[in-house]
Amino acid sequence: MPTSIWRGLLSFGVGAIIWEATARYLDNKLFLVPLGAIFDRFMEMARSGDLAADASVSFIEFIGGFGLAAIVGIGAGIAMSASKRIREFFDPWVSMLYATPTIALGPLFMLALGIGYGSKIALIFLTAVFPILINTVAGLTTTDRVLLEVVRSFGATRMQTYFKVRMPAALPFIIAGLRVAVARALVGVVVAELFGARAGLGFLIFRSAQVFDTAGLWVSVFILAICGVASVEFLKWVEKRMAPWRFQNIEDE
Amino acid sequence: MATKLATRGLGKSFQKDGKAIEALRGLDLDIARGEFVSIVGASGCGKTTFLRLINGLIKPTSGTVTLDGADVSAPGANIAFVFQQDGLFPWRNVLDNTVIGPELQRKDMNEARRTASSFLNLVGLRGFEKHFPHELSGGMKQRVNMARALTAGADVLLMDEPFAALDAQTREIMQAELTRIWRETGKTILFVTHQIDEAVFLSDRVLVFTVRPGRLKEEVTIDLPRPRELTLKRAPQFANYVDHIWQSIEQEVRESIRLETEATLAIAKR
Ligand SMILES: Nc1ncnc2c1ncn2[C@@H]1O[C@H](COP(=O)(O)OP(=O)(O)OP(=O)(O)O)[C@@H](O)[C@H]1O
Ligand SMILES: [Mg+2]
Repeated sequence: MPTSIWRGLLSFGVGAIIWEATARYLDNKLFLVPLGAIFDRFMEMARSGDLAADASVSFIEFIGGFGLAAIVGIGAGIAMSASKRIREFFDPWVSMLYATPTIALGPLFMLALGIGYGSKIALIFLTAVFPILINTVAGLTTTDRVLLEVVRSFGATRMQTYFKVRMPAALPFIIAGLRVAVARALVGVVVAELFGARAGLGFLIFRSAQVFDTAGLWVSVFILAICGVASVEFLKWVEKRMAPWRFQNIEDE
Repeated sequence: MATKLATRGLGKSFQKDGKAIEALRGLDLDIARGEFVSIVGASGCGKTTFLRLINGLIKPTSGTVTLDGADVSAPGANIAFVFQQDGLFPWRNVLDNTVIGPELQRKDMNEARRTASSFLNLVGLRGFEKHFPHELSGGMKQRVNMARALTAGADVLLMDEPFAALDAQTREIMQAELTRIWRETGKTILFVTHQIDEAVFLSDRVLVFTVRPGRLKEEVTIDLPRPRELTLKRAPQFANYVDHIWQSIEQEVRESIRLETEATLAIAKR
């Protein structure tokens, strides 16, 4: 195994010891509970099937919202990069909505779309779509001029220039956008469920807190954290595989 | 000797901020088939513009470019650019970078890959087909660029300061390599450089351009025996050619520095 993984594990190990020590010293079962207790609670919830039910609800919301954001973000990005006029028309909206904490619109979505999947997917979509859209546009409109001149000098058509230069050059940008969007979408899942839900990992946090089940709350937080880290790391890995030249200097150190 | 490439009254002006910048004026040139011609001149005198006109990347404001007697109106397969090292696609391996010409012209790709392999061989890159540009040295990247232009099937190669970014030793090695490749392929080559010794070493003929608008100031036929070895650079005749060309453009370079300083001062005053 590479040393970076060992260091990561060591770091987690130290963190776990500090956690354990603090939990025992504080002895405040409402805030920090020992890791063992969290694990026991996890097994209990897993056996009863509650956890699977909550996780699958959140999973469906996440896939729906994030998937839609990816399709719309990349699609609209391609459209906006194709024409300067379209871009200039939509740019102010994109910039404004990207800067707005759209999560604040959550309650509005509950009112309009109800307490089911629709409102959750809409909110997750809205938090995740802009990084994807913005990166797609940036990737497609900042193509290296030299490379464009190269294909032109070999007599490339507009279509060929698009598919053989602009698209491949934009791919690493798009993946980076997806990476940012995954993290935002996970926050979206939790917040959307806090505003009102019948099930889900975010709702589980809310429900556990109400009945002072701190261990149950931490189970949910840990699962979300693991999902977040895993998907971000996965996209980083994809990015590195697809565009190794962008990481070369950092790796060489 | 048969004329491969000819320009008549070739001129180019650019529009910038409503003002016309005349980059080139009235160039009448004949390049023979298989000739190696270098172009030297002060920075900004229109050398790159000249190559881009010949390739058909930009259209002349006046005059014509003909290849084998036919007008060049758009980039085609007969004339290929050799770009500086940043002209390779980072996401394509060496072989896929090399076949881009035939690929864009929708030629048979199996044949193109065979051609590319043989040219990669010629430039000394056998075994590097699957490497990516970021894994290559600057000199190797330039070899890929040459193999790519050759694979495109061009008879005329346009090279715009191809070795400018290389260190001194690598540059000398590449000069020797280019002479060899030129001899083995019989291509017609137009080569732009700021290094006068490079121009003399490589060329049959060196064209000296005036400052902007670029015109032909002088052409120097290099009467040195071939094949040439790098040791030729220490021969007295070689030094004579270099001195002569240097004196010819010195005046022009001074002039261009004066013009640039004036322009900078004018901007600073505003
Ligand atoms: N697309 C363009 N638009 C406007 N002006 C241009 C354009 N291309 C070139 N020029 C101008 O034309 C002149 C000649 O440029 P060119 O690049 O051909 O010079 P050069 O001889 O290649 O210079 P260098 O030795 O520095 O590479 C310059 O003054 C440049 O500013
Ligand atoms: Mg130039």
